[in-house]
Amino acid sequence: MANLETQILDDIIIKGRRKLLTLGSAALAGLVLGGTKEAKAATAYTDADILNFALNLEYLEANFYYLSAFGCTIDKPNAAAIAAGAPSAGIPITGSVGTAGTVSGGSKIPFATTEVASYAIETAIEEGKHVLFLQSALSTAAVAQPAINLGTSWQMLGSALTPAAPTFTPYDTEGDFLLGAYVFEDVGVTAYHGAASLLTVSGNLSAAAGILSVEAYHAGLIRTTINALDPSASTLVPVTNAISNLRAALAVQVAAATTYDPSPDDFGLATFQVSLAGGSNVTATRIVDASADNSKTFAIATARTTSQVLNIVTGGSSFKNGALTSPATGVFFPAGMNAGPNGFK
Amino acid sequence: MDTKLNSLIDKALSRRNFLAGAGSVAAVGLMAGCADDNTTTTGSSGGTGAYTDADVLNFALNLEYLEAQFYLYAATGHGLEATDTAAPSGYTGTYTMGSVTTNSSVTQVGGGITAAQQQIVNEIAYEEQEHVRFLRSALGAAAVPMPAIDLTFFAPLASLASGGALTAFSPFASFDAFLVGAFIFEDVGVTAYAGAAPLISAAGVASGYLTAAAGILAVEAYHAAYIRTAITAGAIQAGSAAAFPYITYANDVATLRNTLTVGNNSAAPGMGTGNTGAPGSSTSCEVPLALPTGLTTASSIVAADSKTAIGFARTVNQVHHIVYGSATVGAKSGGFFPNGTNSIFATTTA
Repeated sequence: MANLETQILDDIIIKGRRKLLTLGSAALAGLVLGGTKEAKAATAYTDADILNFALNLEYLEANFYYLSAFGCTIDKPNAAAIAAGAPSAGIPITGSVGTAGTVSGGSKIPFATTEVASYAIETAIEEGKHVLFLQSALSTAAVAQPAINLGTSWQMLGSALTPAAPTFTPYDTEGDFLLGAYVFEDVGVTAYHGAASLLTVSGNLSAAAGILSVEAYHAGLIRTTINALDPSASTLVPVTNAISNLRAALAVQVAAATTYDPSPDDFGLATFQVSLAGGSNVTATRIVDASADNSKTFAIATARTTSQVLNIVTGGSSFKNGALTSPATGVFFPAGMNAGPNGFK
Repeated sequence: MDTKLNSLIDKALSRRNFLAGAGSVAAVGLMAGCADDNTTTTGSSGGTGAYTDADVLNFALNLEYLEAQFYLYAATGHGLEATDTAAPSGYTGTYTMGSVTTNSSVTQVGGGITAAQQQIVNEIAYEEQEHVRFLRSALGAAAVPMPAIDLTFFAPLASLASGGALTAFSPFASFDAFLVGAFIFEDVGVTAYAGAAPLISAAGVASGYLTAAAGILAVEAYHAAYIRTAITAGAIQAGSAAAFPYITYANDVATLRNTLTVGNNSAAPGMGTGNTGAPGSSTSCEVPLALPTGLTTASSIVAADSKTAIGFARTVNQVHHIVYGSATVGAKSGGFFPNGTNSIFATTTA
């Protein structure tokens, strides 16, 4: 471990501050925490790059929730969305960088309960506001909406699960919708967490920390509600375990290229054993997506690099033949993300 | 900038030499080594004077002591082990370890708690306990011991929040009451970490403190979401706030938190985005829980700015006003911390 850190420190010393902020922070954090699953971005991203990466993810999340809650994409004025707080003209999907892509698939959930309906509406409106905020913060550097697949992507994802669910769609029932949301929210948390230490402007950091907290509220909401709908842990909970395992595998695939600890960084809703003060071992829920291995993580949420997040949302397309590839295309982003001059990989 | 860059590189060099000489270093020793950086890195924030990264982490540690004690008592009927609360070996600071004030109401959560409910109490207790352990490890010999903590303050706080209607509230009486007790802390924890993150120095960022703080922030927000979702779902299932008064109790707490910090808004970017208006208004850090009806209204699980949906941040002063239960500028103790926090931020300055 010390060898790896000295190697990284050599890199830092040679390449100076920019390198320190992009490579050093995430990698060193992993070492400070005892060597977990922190990988690193080899590219020197600017703040605008990082925020645009986040904007691509927000376009994806916002469209998923708008389609689920209101039956329309974010750019369409919709009476129900407007009543809940959406802008009356819809949310712009064009930007100064890249051309606006279309969204395929998606339909309104046949809601059966006040709980899930109200949660979907709240989340849709908040993710839409994140799109608007990032567009505003980036101003003329903002990317347009990329092409987004919210239809057949779910079957691709389902096929990759173990056990496979090749006909999975999130739009048939409330439970399925929550599983779809589950796919995104914990990833959003790890993405903003990973991005926080890459940002160089204090105001951007404050904003990223604020969005991180909202994504974690959403993730906690989804995980809490799945537990409530599946108290016997027999229908939805096993799927959350499969989704978390897949995300961990895709994240580790990227980390493996840089010789990081391959232990899982993602946990489904299966209960686990914890040791509380006084020595009692008891069963606990896992509302928080954090490792129970306290020799490594101390119940601190995982941070992922842009490469790891990209590999997850493109179904493993950002890592081929032992190396990071660009552009990564697949699953939710059939034409890849819209990126500035530095690209994403 | 060049000076800062050089200083960072110097630190990296010294750390590299330290590691190269040390060979395989245990995680705890490594983190204790990192704490050395703090002694030379200072910053300042309006009104609080100079502080180090260790001061920022110790501020967080005080809050984690409080949360861990509350949740551990709720889960098991007893608190943190002495090894997790005493001054660490080699501690040279002046703060002393306090005790936890309890009474007969401070017990494992009762009232017919179900096995599934007990499991969530266990989870949160475990995670807060680990946060204490993490911060103590990261700070090494610089970690402050636990300050005096009063777990009987829930009753007077509830009385204050409810305008005298609740006279003997105990968060240990039932699972629903526990949710209200937890509600007092969790949104505050989220905003405290959001406010503290930008205070960490560039060297602290390089040492992983920012990533760690952001990771704890995320966990606090997961907890807050659980609490807010459980209370909202309870009210929806009961059909009205009258049938499930805990949603009203929680919103009364939100209003009280708001009142305790009115006028303490900081002009610093990203810090304390409001607290001059009523909860839910564009100038408040509080978003009350909603009771959705039917399939077309939104819930209010997330506590975030109404325009941007970005989570709030609170300053160290604002957080102290809340845990002291006092809006008085200059307050330095009270409420959950009868002798104040073991922190250089203990005395409120705004």
